[in-house]
Amino acid sequence: MDDLLKPTLYRPEGTPDAPTHPALLGGVCAGGHVFFPLQHYGCERCGSVDLKPKALSGVGRLLASARVHLHAGKSREAPFTVGSIQLDDGPIVRTLILDHDAALQAGTRMATTLVRVADAEGRACLDLRFEPEANAR
Amino acid sequence: MTATLKDLRPAYVAGIGFHRYQFISETPYVELGLTAVRAALADAALPWEAVESAYFAKALLPMAPGRAMLRHLGATGLPIVHVENASASGSAAFRHACMEVAAGLADIVLVVGVDKPMPVSRAESLARIGNLADDAFAPFTHFALLADAYASRTGASVEDIALVAVKNHRNGSMNQFAQHQKVRSLDEILGGKKIAGGFTSLQCTPVGEGAAAVIVASEEGLRRCGLGLDRAVRVVSSAGRSQRVYDDATRYDAMLTEETAAIALRDAQITAAHLDVVELHDAFTVEEVEYVEAMGLCGDGEAIPLLKEGAFDIGGRCAVSASGGLISMGHPIGPTGVGQIGEITRQLRGEAGARQQPGARTGLAHMVGVGAVCYVHVLQRP
Repeated sequence: MDDLLKPTLYRPEGTPDAPTHPALLGGVCAGGHVFFPLQHYGCERCGSVDLKPKALSGVGRLLASARVHLHAGKSREAPFTVGSIQLDDGPIVRTLILDHDAALQAGTRMATTLVRVADAEGRACLDLRFEPEANAR
Repeated sequence: MTATLKDLRPAYVAGIGFHRYQFISETPYVELGLTAVRAALADAALPWEAVESAYFAKALLPMAPGRAMLRHLGATGLPIVHVENASASGSAAFRHACMEVAAGLADIVLVVGVDKPMPVSRAESLARIGNLADDAFAPFTHFALLADAYASRTGASVEDIALVAVKNHRNGSMNQFAQHQKVRSLDEILGGKKIAGGFTSLQCTPVGEGAAAVIVASEEGLRRCGLGLDRAVRVVSSAGRSQRVYDDATRYDAMLTEETAAIALRDAQITAAHLDVVELHDAFTVEEVEYVEAMGLCGDGEAIPLLKEGAFDIGGRCAVSASGGLISMGHPIGPTGVGQIGEITRQLRGEAGARQQPGARTGLAHMVGVGAVCYVHVLQRP
Protein backbone atom coordinates (compact mmCIF):
# COMPACT_ATOMS: atom_id res chain seq x y z
CA MET A 1 0.00 0.00 0.00
CA ASP A 2 1.19 3.53 -0.74
CA ASP A 3 2.12 5.83 2.13
CA LEU A 4 -0.53 8.07 3.61
CA LEU A 5 -0.31 11.80 2.77
CA LYS A 6 -1.31 12.82 6.32
CA PRO A 7 -0.73 9.85 8.64
CA THR A 8 -1.25 11.92 11.78
CA LEU A 9 -4.87 12.59 10.76
CA TYR A 10 -6.23 9.20 9.60
CA ARG A 11 -5.36 5.50 9.31
CA PRO A 12 -6.41 2.81 6.82
CA GLU A 13 -8.00 0.67 9.53
CA GLY A 14 -11.52 1.45 10.67
CA THR A 15 -13.09 1.30 14.10
CA PRO A 16 -15.29 -1.49 15.50
CA ASP A 17 -18.33 0.65 14.59
CA ALA A 18 -17.19 1.25 11.00
CA PRO A 19 -14.55 -1.38 10.27
CA THR A 20 -14.43 -0.90 6.50
CA HIS A 21 -13.85 2.86 6.51
CA PRO A 22 -10.57 4.58 7.44
CA ALA A 23 -10.71 6.09 10.92
CA LEU A 24 -9.95 9.72 11.74
CA LEU A 25 -7.42 10.29 14.51
CA GLY A 26 -9.13 12.54 17.02
CA GLY A 27 -9.03 12.97 20.74
CA VAL A 28 -11.17 13.05 23.84
CA CYS A 29 -10.79 15.26 26.89
CA ALA A 30 -11.19 14.03 30.45
CA GLY A 31 -14.49 15.91 30.48
CA GLY A 32 -15.77 13.88 27.53
CA HIS A 33 -15.42 16.45 24.75
CA VAL A 34 -14.53 14.65 21.50
CA PHE A 35 -12.52 16.60 18.96
CA PHE A 36 -10.62 16.33 15.68
CA PRO A 37 -7.76 16.44 14.95
CA LEU A 38 -5.79 15.30 17.97
CA GLN A 39 -3.83 18.07 19.68
CA HIS A 40 -2.21 18.37 23.09
CA TYR A 41 -2.35 22.14 23.76
CA GLY A 42 -5.59 21.95 25.73
CA CYS A 43 -9.31 21.29 25.38
CA GLU A 44 -11.25 24.02 23.56
CA ARG A 45 -14.30 23.39 25.71
CA CYS A 46 -12.80 23.23 29.23
CA GLY A 47 -9.06 23.96 29.01
CA SER A 48 -8.03 20.55 30.34
CA VAL A 49 -4.67 19.20 29.16
CA ASP A 50 -5.79 15.65 30.00
CA LEU A 51 -6.36 14.76 26.34
CA LYS A 52 -6.22 11.22 25.00
CA PRO A 53 -6.17 9.86 21.43
CA LYS A 54 -9.47 8.52 20.13
CA ALA A 55 -10.03 6.89 16.75
CA LEU A 56 -13.21 8.29 15.23
CA SER A 57 -15.40 6.23 12.93
CA GLY A 58 -15.19 7.34 9.31
CA VAL A 59 -18.93 7.68 8.88
CA GLY A 60 -21.32 10.55 9.38
CA ARG A 61 -24.00 12.80 7.91
CA LEU A 62 -23.54 15.46 5.26
CA LEU A 63 -24.45 18.93 6.58
CA ALA A 64 -23.62 20.93 3.45
CA SER A 65 -21.61 20.77 0.25
CA ALA A 66 -20.40 23.16 -2.44
CA ARG A 67 -18.82 22.79 -5.83
CA VAL A 68 -15.80 25.12 -5.94
CA HIS A 69 -15.33 26.72 -9.37
CA LEU A 70 -12.54 29.16 -8.59
CA HIS A 71 -9.48 28.45 -6.47
CA ALA A 72 -6.35 30.55 -6.07
CA GLY A 73 -4.09 27.87 -4.59
CA LYS A 74 -1.66 26.31 -7.05
CA SER A 75 -1.73 22.93 -5.32
CA ARG A 76 -5.33 22.18 -6.24
CA GLU A 77 -7.16 22.67 -9.49
CA ALA A 78 -10.85 23.69 -9.56
CA PRO A 79 -13.49 22.46 -9.92
CA PHE A 80 -13.71 20.25 -6.88
CA THR A 81 -16.31 19.58 -4.20
CA VAL A 82 -16.09 20.29 -0.49
CA GLY A 83 -18.43 19.37 2.29
CA SER A 84 -19.02 19.55 6.01
CA ILE A 85 -19.78 16.23 7.66
CA GLN A 86 -20.95 15.57 11.19
CA LEU A 87 -19.22 12.39 12.26
CA ASP A 88 -21.26 9.84 14.15
CA ASP A 89 -18.72 10.32 16.94
CA GLY A 90 -19.59 14.04 17.22
CA PRO A 91 -17.02 16.36 15.61
CA ILE A 92 -17.79 18.20 12.38
CA VAL A 93 -15.10 18.01 9.71
CA ARG A 94 -14.77 20.03 6.51
CA THR A 95 -12.91 18.42 3.67
CA LEU A 96 -12.96 17.22 0.07
CA ILE A 97 -15.71 15.03 -1.28
CA LEU A 98 -14.92 12.52 -3.97
CA ASP A 99 -15.94 13.91 -7.35
CA HIS A 100 -19.45 12.87 -8.17
CA ASP A 101 -22.05 13.45 -10.84
CA ALA A 102 -25.24 13.90 -8.85
CA ALA A 103 -25.99 16.83 -6.53
CA LEU A 104 -25.49 15.96 -2.89
CA GLN A 105 -28.34 16.37 -0.45
CA ALA A 106 -27.90 17.45 3.16
CA GLY A 107 -28.47 14.47 5.40
CA THR A 108 -26.81 11.98 3.05
CA ARG A 109 -24.86 9.30 4.92
CA MET A 110 -21.17 9.73 4.12
CA ALA A 111 -18.12 7.54 4.65
CA THR A 112 -14.36 7.88 4.35
CA THR A 113 -12.26 6.36 1.61
CA LEU A 114 -8.61 6.61 0.59
CA VAL A 115 -7.74 7.84 -2.88
CA ARG A 116 -4.43 7.93 -4.70
CA VAL A 117 -2.93 11.44 -5.04
CA ALA A 118 0.53 12.90 -5.60
CA ASP A 119 2.40 14.57 -2.76
CA ALA A 120 4.35 17.86 -3.14
CA GLU A 121 7.26 15.96 -4.68
CA GLY A 122 5.03 14.05 -7.11
CA ARG A 123 5.19 10.72 -5.30
CA ALA A 124 2.05 8.59 -5.25
CA CYS A 125 0.37 8.40 -1.86
CA LEU A 126 -3.09 8.03 -0.34
CA ASP A 127 -5.29 10.84 0.95
CA LEU A 128 -8.67 10.84 2.68
CA ARG A 129 -11.93 11.76 1.02
CA PHE A 130 -15.59 11.40 1.92
CA GLU A 131 -18.21 9.98 -0.42
CA PRO A 132 -21.83 8.92 -0.07
CA GLU A 133 -21.87 5.72 1.98
CA ALA A 134 -24.02 4.11 -0.68
CA ASN A 135 -21.18 4.55 -3.20
CA ALA A 136 -18.45 3.41 -0.82
CA ARG A 137 -16.42 0.47 -1.94
CA MET B 1 -20.70 44.44 38.90
CA THR B 2 -18.91 45.97 35.95
CA ALA B 3 -20.07 49.09 34.14
CA THR B 4 -21.41 49.32 30.59
CA LEU B 5 -20.55 52.10 28.18
CA LYS B 6 -23.90 53.74 28.95
CA ASP B 7 -22.99 53.99 32.63
CA LEU B 8 -19.87 56.02 31.87
CA ARG B 9 -19.31 59.49 30.50
CA PRO B 10 -21.07 59.74 27.10
CA ALA B 11 -18.84 59.19 24.04
CA TYR B 12 -19.92 60.74 20.76
CA VAL B 13 -18.93 60.37 17.13
CA ALA B 14 -18.15 63.95 16.19
CA GLY B 15 -16.55 63.57 12.77
CA ILE B 16 -16.37 61.09 9.89
CA GLY B 17 -14.18 60.86 6.81
CA PHE B 18 -13.39 58.44 4.00
CA HIS B 19 -11.06 57.71 1.18
CA ARG B 20 -13.06 55.78 -1.41
CA TYR B 21 -12.72 52.00 -1.20
CA GLN B 22 -11.21 50.94 -4.52
CA PHE B 23 -9.28 48.26 -6.37
CA ILE B 24 -5.58 48.13 -5.56
CA SER B 25 -3.64 51.04 -7.04
CA GLU B 26 -0.29 52.79 -6.78
CA THR B 27 -1.72 55.21 -4.19
CA PRO B 28 0.40 55.01 -1.01
CA TYR B 29 -1.43 54.04 2.16
CA VAL B 30 -0.31 57.36 3.65
CA GLU B 31 -2.37 59.25 1.08
CA LEU B 32 -5.39 57.00 1.61
CA GLY B 33 -5.30 57.47 5.37
CA LEU B 34 -4.54 61.19 5.45
CA THR B 35 -7.46 61.84 3.10
CA ALA B 36 -9.84 60.13 5.52
CA VAL B 37 -8.36 61.75 8.64
CA ARG B 38 -8.40 65.27 7.18
CA ALA B 39 -12.00 64.72 6.05
CA ALA B 40 -13.00 63.56 9.55
CA LEU B 41 -11.31 66.56 11.19
CA ALA B 42 -13.00 68.93 8.75
CA ASP B 43 -16.36 67.22 9.32
CA ALA B 44 -15.94 67.64 13.09
CA ALA B 45 -14.57 71.19 12.68
CA LEU B 46 -11.68 70.20 14.94
CA PRO B 47 -7.98 71.01 14.52
CA TRP B 48 -5.51 68.11 14.53
CA GLU B 49 -3.88 69.58 17.63
CA ALA B 50 -7.08 68.86 19.58
CA VAL B 51 -6.71 65.09 19.06
CA GLU B 52 -5.21 63.53 22.17
CA SER B 53 -4.97 59.87 21.22
CA ALA B 54 -5.11 57.75 18.05
CA TYR B 55 -6.11 54.18 17.21
CA PHE B 56 -4.88 52.83 13.86
CA ALA B 57 -6.71 49.78 12.52
CA LYS B 58 -5.06 47.58 9.91
CA ALA B 59 -4.82 43.90 9.13
CA LEU B 60 -2.68 43.74 6.00
CA LEU B 61 -0.18 46.61 6.18
CA PRO B 62 3.23 45.80 7.72
CA MET B 63 4.22 46.67 11.30
CA ALA B 64 3.79 50.20 12.70
CA PRO B 65 2.27 52.24 9.86
CA GLY B 66 0.60 54.75 12.20
CA ARG B 67 3.17 57.39 13.02
CA ALA B 68 4.66 57.20 9.54
CA MET B 69 1.30 58.48 8.31
CA LEU B 70 0.04 60.69 11.14
CA ARG B 71 3.30 62.69 11.42
CA HIS B 72 2.26 64.48 8.22
CA LEU B 73 -0.53 66.14 10.21
CA GLY B 74 2.08 67.46 12.64
CA ALA B 75 3.96 65.23 15.08
CA THR B 76 2.10 66.24 18.23
CA GLY B 77 3.42 63.31 20.27
CA LEU B 78 -0.01 61.78 20.85
CA PRO B 79 -0.16 58.08 21.79
CA ILE B 80 -0.81 55.75 18.85
CA VAL B 81 -2.10 52.20 19.20
CA HIS B 82 -2.24 49.80 16.25
CA VAL B 83 -5.14 47.37 16.27
CA GLU B 84 -5.17 44.13 14.26
CA ASN B 85 -8.28 42.02 14.66
CA ALA B 86 -8.79 40.65 11.14
CA SER B 87 -11.97 42.00 9.53
CA ALA B 88 -13.00 43.47 12.87
CA SER B 89 -9.81 45.56 13.28
CA GLY B 90 -11.63 48.85 12.74
CA SER B 91 -14.51 47.87 15.03
CA ALA B 92 -12.10 46.87 17.81
CA ALA B 93 -10.17 50.13 17.42
CA PHE B 94 -13.42 52.08 17.65
CA ARG B 95 -14.45 50.21 20.81
CA HIS B 96 -11.18 51.09 22.53
CA ALA B 97 -11.42 54.73 21.50
CA CYS B 98 -14.92 54.86 22.99
CA MET B 99 -13.65 53.26 26.19
CA GLU B 100 -10.84 55.82 26.48
CA VAL B 101 -13.23 58.75 26.08
CA ALA B 102 -15.94 57.21 28.29
CA ALA B 103 -13.38 56.52 31.03
CA GLY B 104 -12.34 60.16 30.98
CA LEU B 105 -8.76 59.43 29.94
CA ALA B 106 -9.07 61.57 26.81
CA ASP B 107 -11.62 64.00 25.35
CA ILE B 108 -10.93 63.76 21.64
CA VAL B 109 -9.68 60.55 20.00
CA LEU B 110 -9.04 59.58 16.39
CA VAL B 111 -9.88 56.15 14.97
CA VAL B 112 -8.51 55.52 11.49
CA GLY B 113 -8.55 52.34 9.45
CA VAL B 114 -6.24 52.00 6.46
CA ASP B 115 -5.21 48.96 4.44
CA LYS B 116 -3.89 47.83 1.09
CA PRO B 117 -4.08 44.23 -0.15
CA MET B 118 -0.87 42.39 0.66
CA PRO B 119 -0.01 38.70 1.11
CA VAL B 120 -0.66 37.59 4.67
CA SER B 121 -0.98 34.22 6.36
CA ARG B 122 -3.12 33.16 9.28
CA ALA B 123 -1.33 32.59 12.57
CA GLU B 124 -3.51 29.52 13.18
CA SER B 125 -1.55 27.76 10.44
CA LEU B 126 1.55 28.05 12.65
CA ALA B 127 -0.01 26.04 15.50
CA ARG B 128 1.14 22.79 13.88
CA ILE B 129 -2.29 21.24 14.22
CA GLY B 130 -2.98 19.20 11.10
CA ASN B 131 -5.97 19.63 8.81
CA LEU B 132 -7.58 17.44 6.22
CA ALA B 133 -7.75 19.96 3.37
CA ASP B 134 -7.66 23.56 4.64
CA ASP B 135 -5.93 24.60 1.42
CA ALA B 136 -9.25 23.92 -0.33
CA PHE B 137 -11.13 26.41 1.86
CA ALA B 138 -11.09 30.11 1.04
CA PRO B 139 -13.55 32.36 2.91
CA PHE B 140 -16.02 32.07 0.02
CA THR B 141 -15.86 28.27 0.32
CA HIS B 142 -16.75 28.44 4.01
CA PHE B 143 -19.71 30.69 3.30
CA ALA B 144 -20.80 28.66 0.25
CA LEU B 145 -21.23 25.74 2.64
CA LEU B 146 -23.23 27.96 4.99
CA ALA B 147 -25.41 29.08 2.07
CA ASP B 148 -26.08 25.45 1.17
CA ALA B 149 -26.95 24.69 4.78
CA TYR B 150 -29.21 27.78 5.01
CA ALA B 151 -31.02 26.70 1.84
CA SER B 152 -31.50 23.17 3.21
CA ARG B 153 -32.73 24.51 6.54
CA THR B 154 -35.15 27.16 5.27
CA GLY B 155 -36.02 26.16 1.71
CA ALA B 156 -34.42 29.33 0.31
CA SER B 157 -33.12 29.15 -3.26
CA VAL B 158 -29.86 30.43 -4.73
CA GLU B 159 -31.91 33.20 -6.36
CA ASP B 160 -33.48 34.18 -3.03
CA ILE B 161 -30.11 34.57 -1.31
CA ALA B 162 -28.72 36.54 -4.27
CA LEU B 163 -31.41 39.21 -3.68
CA VAL B 164 -29.16 40.53 -0.90
CA ALA B 165 -26.64 41.47 -3.59
CA VAL B 166 -29.31 43.20 -5.70
CA LYS B 167 -30.24 45.40 -2.71
CA ASN B 168 -26.69 46.12 -1.62
CA HIS B 169 -25.40 46.96 -5.10
CA ARG B 170 -28.38 49.31 -5.48
CA ASN B 171 -27.44 51.01 -2.21
CA GLY B 172 -23.75 51.15 -3.14
CA SER B 173 -24.57 52.78 -6.48
CA MET B 174 -25.55 55.87 -4.46
CA ASN B 175 -22.40 55.92 -2.32
CA GLN B 176 -19.48 57.92 -3.68
CA PHE B 177 -17.08 56.01 -1.41
CA ALA B 178 -18.16 52.53 -2.53
CA GLN B 179 -15.85 50.30 -4.54
CA HIS B 180 -18.77 49.05 -6.69
CA GLN B 181 -21.15 51.85 -7.68
CA LYS B 182 -23.42 50.15 -10.17
CA VAL B 183 -27.00 48.89 -9.96
CA ARG B 184 -27.09 45.17 -10.79
CA SER B 185 -30.07 43.04 -11.79
CA LEU B 186 -30.64 39.58 -10.37
CA ASP B 187 -29.82 38.12 -13.79
CA GLU B 188 -26.53 40.03 -13.93
CA ILE B 189 -25.62 38.83 -10.46
CA LEU B 190 -26.52 35.19 -11.08
CA GLY B 191 -24.86 35.26 -14.52
CA GLY B 192 -21.50 36.45 -13.21
CA LYS B 193 -18.37 34.42 -12.76
CA LYS B 194 -19.06 31.27 -10.71
CA ILE B 195 -17.07 31.13 -7.48
CA ALA B 196 -18.36 28.33 -5.24
CA GLY B 197 -21.76 26.77 -4.63
CA GLY B 198 -24.41 29.31 -5.64
CA PHE B 199 -22.02 32.26 -5.28
CA THR B 200 -21.03 34.37 -8.23
CA SER B 201 -18.50 37.19 -8.04
CA LEU B 202 -21.09 39.94 -7.39
CA GLN B 203 -22.32 38.09 -4.31
CA CYS B 204 -18.85 38.28 -2.76
CA THR B 205 -17.13 41.31 -1.29
CA PRO B 206 -14.30 42.89 -3.21
CA VAL B 207 -11.19 43.22 -1.02
CA GLY B 208 -9.44 46.38 -2.13
CA GLU B 209 -7.83 49.41 -0.51
CA GLY B 210 -9.18 52.52 1.18
CA ALA B 211 -9.48 54.36 4.45
CA ALA B 212 -12.09 55.51 6.95
CA ALA B 213 -11.74 57.72 10.00
CA VAL B 214 -13.97 58.86 12.85
CA ILE B 215 -13.45 61.27 15.72
CA VAL B 216 -14.73 60.08 19.10
CA ALA B 217 -15.23 62.88 21.62
CA SER B 218 -16.71 63.83 24.95
CA GLU B 219 -19.10 66.74 25.32
CA GLU B 220 -16.48 68.52 27.43
CA GLY B 221 -13.88 68.15 24.70
CA LEU B 222 -16.22 69.49 22.04
CA ARG B 223 -17.30 72.46 24.18
CA ARG B 224 -13.65 73.28 24.94
CA CYS B 225 -13.16 73.60 21.17
CA GLY B 226 -16.22 75.83 20.87
CA LEU B 227 -18.44 73.04 19.51
CA GLY B 228 -21.72 71.51 20.63
CA LEU B 229 -23.56 68.24 20.12
CA ASP B 230 -25.59 69.43 17.11
CA ARG B 231 -24.21 66.81 14.73
CA ALA B 232 -22.83 64.40 17.34
CA VAL B 233 -24.09 60.83 17.56
CA ARG B 234 -23.85 58.99 20.87
CA VAL B 235 -22.27 55.55 21.14
CA VAL B 236 -24.70 53.91 23.57
CA SER B 237 -23.20 50.42 23.73
CA SER B 238 -20.21 48.40 22.67
CA ALA B 239 -19.84 44.62 22.83
CA GLY B 240 -16.97 42.36 21.85
CA ARG B 241 -16.88 38.56 21.98
CA SER B 242 -14.95 35.63 20.59
CA GLN B 243 -16.09 32.22 19.42
CA ARG B 244 -17.01 29.55 21.98
CA VAL B 245 -17.75 25.88 21.37
CA TYR B 246 -21.25 25.77 19.91
CA ASP B 247 -23.57 22.81 19.43
CA ASP B 248 -23.86 23.71 15.74
CA ALA B 249 -20.17 24.24 15.08
CA THR B 250 -20.59 25.19 11.42
CA ARG B 251 -22.73 28.24 12.27
CA TYR B 252 -20.26 29.83 14.66
CA ASP B 253 -20.44 33.21 12.90
CA ALA B 254 -24.20 33.39 13.45
CA MET B 255 -24.03 32.04 17.01
CA LEU B 256 -21.30 34.53 17.88
CA THR B 257 -23.30 37.32 16.27
CA GLU B 258 -26.40 36.35 18.25
CA GLU B 259 -24.69 36.54 21.62
CA THR B 260 -22.67 39.69 20.84
CA ALA B 261 -25.66 41.58 19.43
CA ALA B 262 -27.75 40.52 22.43
CA ILE B 263 -25.21 42.09 24.78
CA ALA B 264 -25.02 45.31 22.77
CA LEU B 265 -28.82 45.64 22.59
CA ARG B 266 -29.22 44.83 26.29
CA ASP B 267 -26.60 47.42 27.26
CA ALA B 268 -28.28 49.98 25.01
CA GLN B 269 -31.60 49.13 26.74
CA ILE B 270 -33.36 48.53 23.43
CA THR B 271 -34.46 45.59 21.29
CA ALA B 272 -33.72 44.89 17.64
CA ALA B 273 -37.16 46.30 16.82
CA HIS B 274 -35.81 49.77 17.68
CA LEU B 275 -33.11 49.63 14.99
CA ASP B 276 -33.57 51.94 12.00
CA VAL B 277 -30.25 51.23 10.24
CA VAL B 278 -27.85 48.30 10.44
CA GLU B 279 -24.44 47.86 8.86
CA LEU B 280 -23.31 44.25 9.08
CA HIS B 281 -20.58 41.92 7.85
CA ASP B 282 -22.16 40.96 4.52
CA ALA B 283 -18.94 39.77 2.89
CA PHE B 284 -21.08 37.08 1.26
CA THR B 285 -24.82 37.30 0.61
CA VAL B 286 -25.78 34.48 2.94
CA GLU B 287 -24.19 36.31 5.85
CA GLU B 288 -26.79 39.08 5.72
CA VAL B 289 -29.73 36.69 5.98
CA GLU B 290 -28.00 34.71 8.72
CA TYR B 291 -27.10 37.82 10.74
CA VAL B 292 -30.41 39.70 10.54
CA GLU B 293 -31.98 36.57 12.01
CA ALA B 294 -29.20 36.12 14.57
CA MET B 295 -29.44 39.68 15.85
CA GLY B 296 -33.21 39.46 16.16
CA LEU B 297 -34.36 41.73 13.34
CA CYS B 298 -36.59 38.79 12.40
CA GLY B 299 -37.16 35.18 13.35
CA ASP B 300 -35.31 32.14 12.05
CA GLY B 301 -36.06 31.56 8.38
CA GLU B 302 -37.90 34.89 8.01
CA ALA B 303 -35.11 36.92 6.38
CA ILE B 304 -35.84 35.99 2.77
CA PRO B 305 -39.60 36.77 2.82
CA LEU B 306 -38.84 40.10 4.51
CA LEU B 307 -36.05 40.85 2.04
CA LYS B 308 -38.53 40.26 -0.80
CA GLU B 309 -41.06 42.58 0.86
CA GLY B 310 -38.44 45.34 1.05
CA ALA B 311 -38.24 45.37 4.84
CA PHE B 312 -34.44 45.77 4.69
CA ASP B 313 -34.42 48.34 1.89
CA ILE B 314 -33.77 52.01 2.48
CA GLY B 315 -37.27 53.16 3.41
CA GLY B 316 -38.17 49.74 4.79
CA ARG B 317 -38.60 48.93 8.45
CA CYS B 318 -34.80 48.74 8.96
CA ALA B 319 -32.30 49.69 6.27
CA VAL B 320 -29.63 46.98 6.19
CA SER B 321 -26.31 47.79 4.51
CA ALA B 322 -27.50 51.18 3.29
CA SER B 323 -23.87 52.00 2.47
CA GLY B 324 -23.82 49.10 0.03
CA GLY B 325 -22.31 46.90 2.71
CA LEU B 326 -19.19 44.88 2.20
CA ILE B 327 -20.63 43.43 -1.01
CA SER B 328 -20.84 46.78 -2.77
CA MET B 329 -18.99 49.35 -0.69
CA GLY B 330 -16.11 46.89 -0.33
CA HIS B 331 -14.00 45.40 2.41
CA PRO B 332 -10.48 46.84 2.62
CA ILE B 333 -10.28 45.06 6.03
CA GLY B 334 -8.74 47.63 8.42
CA PRO B 335 -11.09 50.48 7.44
CA THR B 336 -14.31 48.46 7.15
CA GLY B 337 -15.50 48.57 10.76
CA VAL B 338 -14.64 52.28 10.99
CA GLY B 339 -16.51 52.95 7.76
CA GLN B 340 -19.61 51.28 9.18
CA ILE B 341 -19.57 53.76 12.07
CA GLY B 342 -19.19 56.57 9.54
CA GLU B 343 -22.24 55.37 7.62
CA ILE B 344 -24.39 54.94 10.74
CA THR B 345 -23.36 58.42 11.91
CA ARG B 346 -24.24 59.91 8.53
CA GLN B 347 -27.64 58.20 8.63
CA LEU B 348 -28.44 59.29 12.20
CA ARG B 349 -27.49 62.86 11.38
CA GLY B 350 -29.91 62.75 8.44
CA GLU B 351 -27.07 63.55 6.03
CA ALA B 352 -27.09 60.40 3.86
CA GLY B 353 -28.75 62.07 0.85
CA ALA B 354 -30.27 59.55 -1.58
CA ARG B 355 -29.39 56.73 0.81
CA GLN B 356 -31.13 58.32 3.80
CA GLN B 357 -33.30 56.03 5.92
CA PRO B 358 -36.23 58.30 6.85
CA GLY B 359 -36.37 59.21 10.53
CA ALA B 360 -33.31 57.16 11.46
CA ARG B 361 -32.60 57.52 15.18
CA THR B 362 -30.91 54.26 16.22
CA GLY B 363 -28.27 52.29 14.33
CA LEU B 364 -26.19 49.18 14.85
CA ALA B 365 -22.80 48.24 13.39
CA HIS B 366 -21.68 44.59 13.37
CA MET B 367 -18.46 42.93 12.29
CA VAL B 368 -17.05 39.45 12.54
CA GLY B 369 -13.41 38.67 11.96
CA VAL B 370 -11.38 35.57 11.39
CA GLY B 371 -10.77 33.81 14.67
CA ALA B 372 -13.66 34.25 15.10
CA VAL B 373 -14.23 37.54 16.87
CA CYS B 374 -17.31 39.76 16.80
CA TYR B 375 -18.03 43.41 17.65
CA VAL B 376 -21.35 45.20 17.83
CA HIS B 377 -21.95 48.90 18.51
CA VAL B 378 -25.24 50.72 18.94
CA LEU B 379 -25.39 54.44 18.16
CA GLN B 380 -28.20 56.92 18.75
CA ARG B 381 -29.03 60.47 17.86
CA PRO B 382 -29.13 62.43 21.15
